[in-house]
Amino acid sequence: MRRLTWLLAVLLCLAPGLAGAQAKATVTIWYPGGDITAGAAHFGDKNLWTEFEKTHNVKVEAVGLDYDTMQQKVFAAAAGRNIADILFIDTSWLPGFLKEEMLEPVADAKAKAWLSAVSPEIKELSDYGNGRMWGYPQYGIDIYGLTWNKEHFKEAGLDPEKPPKTWAEFREYAKKLTKRDAQGNITRVGYAIRHVGHPHGIVHKHFWALYGAGVQLVDDPNRLRGGKAVINTDGGKAALKLILDMLDQDKSTSLNFPDPRAAFIKGIASMQISETVSIKARQPKDAPELKWGMALPPVPKAGDKPVSLLGAWLYSVPKQAKNKALAWQAIEWINSAEKDYELCKKYDASPRYKVNWDKEPFKSDPYDQALKQLYPAGKKLPINLGLNGVMDAVGGAIQKVWHHEASIDAALAEAEQAATKAIADAAK
Amino acid sequence: MRAAGRLGLYLTVTGVAVLMVLPFYWMVITAVSPASDILAFPPKWIPSRLTGEHFAAAVAKAPWLTYYWNSLVVAVVSVGCSLVFGLFAGYAFAVYRFPLQNVCFLLILSTLMVPVQVTSVALYVLLARIEWVDSYLGILAPNFASAFGVFMIRQGIKAIPVDLLEAARMDGAGEVRIVLTIVAPLIKTTLATVAMILFLGSWNDFLWPVIVINSQNLRTLPVGIALFKDPYGSINYGPLMAATVIATGPMLIAYAVSQKYMIRGIALTGLKG
Amino acid sequence: MIRWRRRSNRHRHLLHAYLFIAPVVLLFGAFRVIPAVQTLLYSVYKVELLRGRFTFIGLENFRALVADPAFAKATVNTLAYVAAIVPISAALGLGLAVLFDARFRLSELFKAVYFAPMVTSTAAAAMVWWWLYNPQFGLFNVLLRLVGLPDQPWLMSSHTALTAIIIFSVWKTLGYNMIIYLAGLQAIPQQFYEAATIDGAGTVARFWRISVPLLAPTTTFLLIYDSILAFQVFDQVFVLTGGGPANATNVVVLELYRQAFERYNFGYAAAEATVLFLLILGITVVQYLYSRRFEVAY
Repeated sequence: MRRLTWLLAVLLCLAPGLAGAQAKATVTIWYPGGDITAGAAHFGDKNLWTEFEKTHNVKVEAVGLDYDTMQQKVFAAAAGRNIADILFIDTSWLPGFLKEEMLEPVADAKAKAWLSAVSPEIKELSDYGNGRMWGYPQYGIDIYGLTWNKEHFKEAGLDPEKPPKTWAEFREYAKKLTKRDAQGNITRVGYAIRHVGHPHGIVHKHFWALYGAGVQLVDDPNRLRGGKAVINTDGGKAALKLILDMLDQDKSTSLNFPDPRAAFIKGIASMQISETVSIKARQPKDAPELKWGMALPPVPKAGDKPVSLLGAWLYSVPKQAKNKALAWQAIEWINSAEKDYELCKKYDASPRYKVNWDKEPFKSDPYDQALKQLYPAGKKLPINLGLNGVMDAVGGAIQKVWHHEASIDAALAEAEQAATKAIADAAK
Repeated sequence: MRAAGRLGLYLTVTGVAVLMVLPFYWMVITAVSPASDILAFPPKWIPSRLTGEHFAAAVAKAPWLTYYWNSLVVAVVSVGCSLVFGLFAGYAFAVYRFPLQNVCFLLILSTLMVPVQVTSVALYVLLARIEWVDSYLGILAPNFASAFGVFMIRQGIKAIPVDLLEAARMDGAGEVRIVLTIVAPLIKTTLATVAMILFLGSWNDFLWPVIVINSQNLRTLPVGIALFKDPYGSINYGPLMAATVIATGPMLIAYAVSQKYMIRGIALTGLKG
Repeated sequence: MIRWRRRSNRHRHLLHAYLFIAPVVLLFGAFRVIPAVQTLLYSVYKVELLRGRFTFIGLENFRALVADPAFAKATVNTLAYVAAIVPISAALGLGLAVLFDARFRLSELFKAVYFAPMVTSTAAAAMVWWWLYNPQFGLFNVLLRLVGLPDQPWLMSSHTALTAIIIFSVWKTLGYNMIIYLAGLQAIPQQFYEAATIDGAGTVARFWRISVPLLAPTTTFLLIYDSILAFQVFDQVFVLTGGGPANATNVVVLELYRQAFERYNFGYAAAEATVLFLLILGITVVQYLYSRRFEVAY
């Protein structure tokens, strides 16, 4: 009898341990739900992690968050010590998270191997100076490009296969493409601008003109801490004036048009510049009849080098993750060359590894090859810890000028001052 | 002259009524019209055919039942707690005399002057520390009790004749029993009015839930509807309006049924506030 | 014997009293009063929540506030919003209440219709208006086009966005103002009007000489109540414009929401909240003192 009691006691003591050994560890991933980013599409697949779960005896749980509040949620979770093991984040959020020292860097050896295996645009997106990486960029990266409506071009007597190459051409095309009703209301704009909403989005969609005119926003894009903002230059003024002239003189664009992509899909804008991938994702469903082309954004004058914004979503690991080792293993697994090939093929995206570009279907897919033409112009946002403040300032200046709240000179001077202050504050 | 005055009155009143109803009408029409009608010019006041596709799209995109459930849980718990706590506190303030009475009462009333908009920052920091952020408790924290409720209930209880309470005490009833079985039924109109106003406030509350809630499965209806809008500029107004119909419909129906009572209740508290 | 029982009763009641008020006092203390005091406290700190670090920086936050154009813009916008919405809602509410003071058929139905926006959630109603305000396909511009007027940019332009939000808010709060005024009007004894009629006062004269002065307490209440609410405006701005374009509709609560929950500058946001509180307090006190001089007792 007493023995039995002992046995029971020992079993009871062991039981939690045994149960613990049997219960699988869970790796959680937070990603933006909805159809915000093409790169997150595969998280909807229930079997995505099956293989990894088997070989590592874990459970992987992907939780879709809302794009709008995702950054806030990540901050809140970090403060509450209740954060996911893997964060799938927008590269433009990176400085905000780094400022709070929230992310683990990628191990040096792993980073080195990755940087030498991927194509140049992925390298540009991954490397934050001297081979330092804060995560792995997902396939389906965002390259901003000019998209145009081929039917509208024909209607206006323009060659539907020849997009405008210079700013002058761009203005001229936009004028020809604009349509009005009997009362003079613009019913279709030649070029749709983003001028409302979050200031960051406004900068993203005007980046081509700013960078094209030589404005880098900060003096050293790869510097994490300190430095100063460079916005109030001849290039900056020219980039803002371009659209202001189209608004006021050409009347080929209008503040009455909301999101450029929505306007383009709805057929009330003939040209727009944004993430090409979002037009590709939405057009078949929302506007099956629409025929469109994509190209690099126009440059100030013939011979200039086109620049376009490159963005991506990163797999990263927060410092407060509960299963760090497993998180990195999961990330490395999903970002391996084999998985890259398999998933890009399945989700109709362009691959990251150099070896995969040499394989079909990517080798001869027209959309992928067209993207490849855009990639060399790609440039990512600066990394500076004060980037959020810089973007707020520049976005604010653009809005003020286009809405006639301030002159170009005044707006840019104010923005540069505010941006430099933001950089200094963030460096403290 | 008199007839003309009547006509003018009706014209004005009807005109304003049309302006007031127009948004509701257009919401419903957009929600049930086929996509081609929605963007038509001149506008289609009556849909060419009825469609449920926008509702299907709205339901597929967001868990509305969960949002309803969350709104309901938060409203019922906050109203319930506010009523029970308010009843006892109101009774204490109305019937007893005790040290620090006025200090406590003023302290409670003073919170009316400091809205959650002002305290949200510090409250959030506090809740983050006790790990209540992103939970029902987090949404409920500032709403477990209502200063307005305590005040209204105290006023109601003050109108009860003291003899009634004394008689009950003579019969040997305990204080808790007096509050629950004698006082509560006597002020049931006040309680119902307070309950309605608090319910309405909780049901429509937006700022605090949007701050404290991050998970989709904890969103209340107003937060759910506000974040339903595609951040990249929705072009599909049908599903959006279907979503607003889903979100506002039940409250509007409840209002249609009980509008007389609701309006009177709100008018009453307005005068007393 | 009796005396003893009384004393024990008093003691027991003391215990009851504290027990009965304890939940409310504790809950308010924890979730209302302490945060209110802490808001004041945080406004002189740099709060880094993620690192659990609180650094005392004196009036640095307030100094930065004064120099912050975004906060200045938000304050000006909030004041403009209050200055517009409060008198417009009150005046229209009074006008409608006078109409409804006379009995007529279907008046209850009309009243219910006017009040309907009030019971609808602001966020959801604003979503509907966001669609109505759409420049290309929204009903408002479509109606303007029907009568041959030019399109308006509504929420899309920094010059019209705040007005568009004010129009929405008038629609939302009109019913409430009307109901409160109506209750006030119906509380005025009929003899006053009868006496004035005998003295030969017309409708207009009766309105200005009797209704308006006797409604002074109602007006005071509404002005204070409406302005407190207007100072806290957030929901409709969040949904309709997010504070844009170019900060044209940014308001104090939205600004402090951004600072706290998007940028994690809790100390700075607390300073903004403190300013908001002082604004509300100041306006309320001024309105109260000023309007007391016009109150008529009856």
